[in-house]
Amino acid sequence: MPTLAPERDGALLMASDLSAGYGAIRVLQQVNLSVRAGQVVALVGPNGAGKSTLLKALSGMIPKTSGTVSFGGQDITRLTTQACGRLGLVHVIEGHRVLPSLTVEENLLLAALDQPASARRARVEEAYRVFPEIAEKRHLGAGSLSGGQQQMLVIAQGIVRQPRLLLLDEPSAGLAPVLIARVLEVVAAFRTKGTAVLLVEQAVEKALHIADRVYVLVHGRIVLATDAQSARAPGVLERAYLGAAQPS
Amino acid sequence: MMPTGLEAIASTDLPPLTRQRPRALWAAAAVIGLAVLLPAGVNQYWMQIGTLAFVYWVLIAGLDLIIGYAGQLAVGFVGLLAIGAYTASILCEKASWPAFAALAAAGAAGALFGFLVGLPSLRLKGFYFAMTTLGFSTIVTQVALGWERLTGGGIGLPGPMFPAPLDSPVGFYYLALGMALLATYLLRNVAFSNFGRGLVAVRDAEVAAEAMGVPITRLKLVTFTLSGILAGMAGALFAARQTYITPDAFTFDLSVLFFIMVLIGGRGRIVGPMIGTLILTLLPEIAAPLVMWSNFLYAVLLLLVVLIVPGGIAAFLERLFVKTAKGEGLDAPAPERLNAVLGQHASPKVLTLQGVALHFGGVRALDGVDVAVRPGTVHGLIGPNGSGKTTLLNAVSGFYAANSGRIVFGEADLAARPSADRAALGIARTFQTPRVVGNLSVLENAMLGAYRQFTTSFPAVALGSRHGVIEDRAIRQRAADALAAVGLRRLAHLRAEQLQHTEQRFLEIARCLVMQPSILLLDEPAAGLSHDEIEHLQALIEHIRSLGVAILLVEHHADLVFQVSDEVTVLDVGRVLAHGAPAEVRINPEVINAYLGA
Amino acid sequence: MLVTILVAGIAIGAIYAMIGLSYNMMYSTSKVVSFTPGQLGMIGAVFGAWFIGVLEVPLWLGFLGAMGVAVAYGFFTELVAVRPVLKSIEQHLYVLTTLAAALMIQQVVAIWWGTDPRPFPTLFGLGAGLASEKYWLPVVACFLAFIGLELFYRKTLWGAAFIAVAEDAEASRALGIPDVRIRVVSYCLAGFIGALAGFMGGQLLLAFFALGATLTFYGFVPIAMGGIGSNRGALIGGFFLGILQQAANYFVGGVFVGVVTFAVFITLLLLVPRGLFGSAVARRV
Repeated sequence: MPTLAPERDGALLMASDLSAGYGAIRVLQQVNLSVRAGQVVALVGPNGAGKSTLLKALSGMIPKTSGTVSFGGQDITRLTTQACGRLGLVHVIEGHRVLPSLTVEENLLLAALDQPASARRARVEEAYRVFPEIAEKRHLGAGSLSGGQQQMLVIAQGIVRQPRLLLLDEPSAGLAPVLIARVLEVVAAFRTKGTAVLLVEQAVEKALHIADRVYVLVHGRIVLATDAQSARAPGVLERAYLGAAQPS
Repeated sequence: MMPTGLEAIASTDLPPLTRQRPRALWAAAAVIGLAVLLPAGVNQYWMQIGTLAFVYWVLIAGLDLIIGYAGQLAVGFVGLLAIGAYTASILCEKASWPAFAALAAAGAAGALFGFLVGLPSLRLKGFYFAMTTLGFSTIVTQVALGWERLTGGGIGLPGPMFPAPLDSPVGFYYLALGMALLATYLLRNVAFSNFGRGLVAVRDAEVAAEAMGVPITRLKLVTFTLSGILAGMAGALFAARQTYITPDAFTFDLSVLFFIMVLIGGRGRIVGPMIGTLILTLLPEIAAPLVMWSNFLYAVLLLLVVLIVPGGIAAFLERLFVKTAKGEGLDAPAPERLNAVLGQHASPKVLTLQGVALHFGGVRALDGVDVAVRPGTVHGLIGPNGSGKTTLLNAVSGFYAANSGRIVFGEADLAARPSADRAALGIARTFQTPRVVGNLSVLENAMLGAYRQFTTSFPAVALGSRHGVIEDRAIRQRAADALAAVGLRRLAHLRAEQLQHTEQRFLEIARCLVMQPSILLLDEPAAGLSHDEIEHLQALIEHIRSLGVAILLVEHHADLVFQVSDEVTVLDVGRVLAHGAPAEVRINPEVINAYLGA
Repeated sequence: MLVTILVAGIAIGAIYAMIGLSYNMMYSTSKVVSFTPGQLGMIGAVFGAWFIGVLEVPLWLGFLGAMGVAVAYGFFTELVAVRPVLKSIEQHLYVLTTLAAALMIQQVVAIWWGTDPRPFPTLFGLGAGLASEKYWLPVVACFLAFIGLELFYRKTLWGAAFIAVAEDAEASRALGIPDVRIRVVSYCLAGFIGALAGFMGGQLLLAFFALGATLTFYGFVPIAMGGIGSNRGALIGGFFLGILQQAANYFVGGVFVGVVTFAVFITLLLLVPRGLFGSAVARRV
C-alpha cells in the first residue's frame, strides 16, 4: 500500500474544475468540491442536475473530460474505481443494487474480496453488528430482501470495505420513513468512527439534519456551497433550486 | 453523403439538383469511360477479372442496402447468389430457357428468398440474425449438394449461355458492365431517397424513426426483396461467367468476403463499397502468394476496419478531401420561415388525458392523471424526481401503453394505436437525449420529419421516377425552411454527429416542424442549454404557438416553464399536484415542498 | 437402430453442449455473443491430433498443449476482438470482430494443417463398438465441465465474483471486484472448454480445419434452445440436437441433416427468442 501524503488544506477529497459527461452531453461543468476527514457533506439539487454523475466521476466510474480529483493528497483523476476503493474511497451506487442471485453473506464476502481471506469474516461480522436486520437473513438470496433491507445491505457492503470516505448515492430513495431514519442514523454514526461521507439525497430536510456542509448542484454547476445551518434558513434552498425569477 | 460546399448557401439555401455534385458526376463519367474502354487496353485475363468485379458489384450493390443502410448483419448472403446461379442454370440446362429469361427468373427467385431471409430480421438482431443467415447459406449449399437430380449434386451443372455476341469474353464483359451500371442506378436512387434516409434512421436511431412514423417492417422487407433481386441476377451472371457451377463455389468464405467488401467501403455509402469490391477482387490476382493468404487477409482487414476506421474507405477519403467543420453555433432564428413550414398544418386538435394510470411492476408511475392541451397554447409539465413527466410523454407518444384511463387526440383514441401511427395523427416529439441520425446530414435529418408524407412507391423510386424527385425537392425546401427557422441554416450540410449537443436539440425541433404537427411534445428541451440558447428556445416556442400548434413542454427549468406557459400542471408521484396559471402554481406551497422533498 | 442413434446422438450432443458452455462463458462476463467457440473446438481437435498423432508426445502433454493453444486464442479474442468494442456505443461491432478473429484462425490452420480432414488418434484405446471411448469420452468431459462450473460458481468466492460480474457489471465494479481480470479469465476458460469439446470429440469429428464453421452453427443451436447464459439449457439443447441429427441422418439422409437442424433452429428463435431458460429483455425508451 503506498503511503499517502498529508492532506492539503485538511481536505480528504478534493475535486477541482471537474467536468464530465456522457458522450457529447456535458453534464458536469467545472465543479469544485471538497470533503474533510470525518465530515458528512450533503449533495443536493433537482433531478437531472448531475448528482449521481458527480459521484461516478469522483470514483472513476465514468471518465472525466477535464479537471482533477485528489484523495488523501494523491491524484486519483486517472484511477479505476477498484483502485480508488483500495485507497479508501468507496462508492455505494444508487438503486440498492445488490447481487440478487447470491446470498446476503456472499454479497458481503464479495465486498471483502480484495482483503486477505482471514480478515473477511471479521469484516462481515462488523457489518452485521451495524445492521442486525440483515444478519438474520444471511443465507437468503439477496434478491428476496425488501427494498429497505437491500439498501441496508449495500451500505453494509460499503462498511465491509473499511472506507475512509463513503460516497452514498440516494440511500433513502424509495424507503419507508422509519427505514429512512434508520439509514440516516447509521450515516450520522460514521462521523464518530472517523469515516467521511459525501451523501446525495432527495430528502433534503433530513439530510441537512445530519450534514456538516451542503453543496447544491443545479444543471451541472455548484450554485451554493455552505454549512448546513445556513442552508436551513428560509428561502435559501428554494432560491437555489427553483431560480430567482418571481413571476408577476 | 451531402456536399459540404458552402456554395450551397445560395438565395434559396438549396443547391439545384443538377449542380448538386459536379465533381462527383465528372468522376463517375470518367470511371464509366475507363470501364468501357478497358477491353481495348488490357489482355483477356484482366478483362475477365473486371467482369468478375462487375458481377460481384451487382450483388454488393444490393447487399450495401442491407448491411450498409439498413444495418442488418446479413453474413450469409452467398446463399442468394447460389439460388440465382442454380435457378438460371437449371432453367437453361434442363428446361432450355433462353438466357435472358433465366436471368429474370433468377432475379425473381432472389426476390422470394431475399424476402424470406428478411423476415427473421424483424425479430432477431445482431448476432442472432447473422447466425440465421449463415445457417441459411449452409442449407442452400447442402440442398444443392443433395438434390442430385435437379442440381447435379457434387458434379454440378453448366451455367447459362447468353446469345451472341454476349457469349464472347468481350461481349460478356459489356453485359456485366451494363448490369453493374443498372445496379448502381437502382442503389443510388434508393440511397438518396426518402427510403434511404429512412433505412439509416432505422439503423441508427430506431426509436426516433418509429416516432416519425417510418414503417419499419415494410421498409426492411422491401429492401431485402430488392437486394434479393440483385443477388439472384448476380448469381445468374456468375454462373455464366464460371460456365459451370458446383456447390463448393459458394463457400462461407465468399459470404464473408462480400460482407467485408461492403464494410471496407464504408456503410451507407456507394463509392466506398464499389472501391472495396474492386480492391478485394483484385487482391488475390496481384500477387500469387496472396491467393493462399487472401482469406486471412480479408479477416485481418475486417478487424482493422472495425477497430480503426469504422467508416471504411469512404470515411478515410472523406477525411482527406472534405473539410469537417465542427458546429459553428446557432444563427439568430428566422421565425418568419415558420410560416412556410407550418402554413398548412393539420387541423387543430385537443389532446386530452383522463384518469390515465400506468404502472411498472409495483410502481405507479402515473396514478390517475388529467391533462388537456389546447391548440395554440403552451402547457408546461413540471415535477420532481419520479413524478411521471417523461412517462406521461411516452404514454402519449405510444411507447408505453396506459393501464387505464383515456388518451384522446382530436377524434382519435390513442390507446388502440401503435406508436408508429402517432406521426400520422400529427403528434411530434423530441427526446430527453437527442436522437438524431449521426451519419445523415442535418438537412436530411430534418427531412425525416416528412417521411410519411412521401407518396412515391419504393419500386418507382428505385427506377428513378420523376414524381419522386419532385416530392423530394419539396420536402427538401420545407426542411431548409425549418432549419432556417430554428437557426441551423449554416449547419445544414454538416453530418448531424458533428453538431454540438445543444444544436442537436434544435435539430430535433426542426425535424418535428417538418412533420407539420398539430401538437409538439418537448421532452426537457432546455437541458444543457446556455442562457442565450434558452431565450432562443423560448422565442421559437412562442412563434410555434402563434401558428396554432399545441405544445406540451416537459421541463426542469422552472424559469422557462413559468415564462412561456399558458398553463402549468405539476406532477408528483404520478398524480396532479397542482394546475393553473404559472403565477399561481409558482407560489403554491405544496409545489415548493414537493421539489425540496418533505 | 435406436441404440446407435441414441449413443451417437448423445456423444455428438455432448460436443455441441460443450461448445454451448463456451458461448455462455464468454457471454456471461462480457455480454458478447462471440463467433469463436466453434473455432475453439477445431483447435482442440487439430492441435490434439498434431501433438499426439504427429509429434507423438505423451497424452497428458498433448492435452495441455492443445488446451494451451486454445487458452491463448481465448486471451487473444478478448484482447483484440472484444475489449476494444465494449466501449463503443454500437453494440454489434463485436459480431464483426469475433467473426474476423474466427476466420483468421481458420485460415491459418487451413494453410498450416491442410484442407483435408486428418485422423484424430485414439487416446486411451478403451472400449469397442458402441462402448468405444469415442462415444463416452465427450459425454464424460461434458458432465465434468458442467459440474465443475456449477461447483465453481456456487462454492467458491471467485465463482460468486464471476456471477456478480455477469449479473451487474457496474455494481461489481463499484464493489471493487476486478471485472476486467475476471472477463479475461472467463475468455481463457471458455477457450479451454471449447477445445475440450474438440479434443474429447476428436475421434468422432476428425481433425479438420472447417470444423470451426460447422461447430459454430451447430453449437449455437443449444443456445437458441436454452437461452444464452443458461448452462443447463446448453446441455439439454445439445443432447436434443445430437439425437435429432442422428435420427434425421438415419431417416432422411445425411445431406438434409443441416436442413432439419436449421428448421428447428429458426423455429425456436422465432417462437422463443429468449430461449426456454432465458432471461427478460431490457426496456427500450
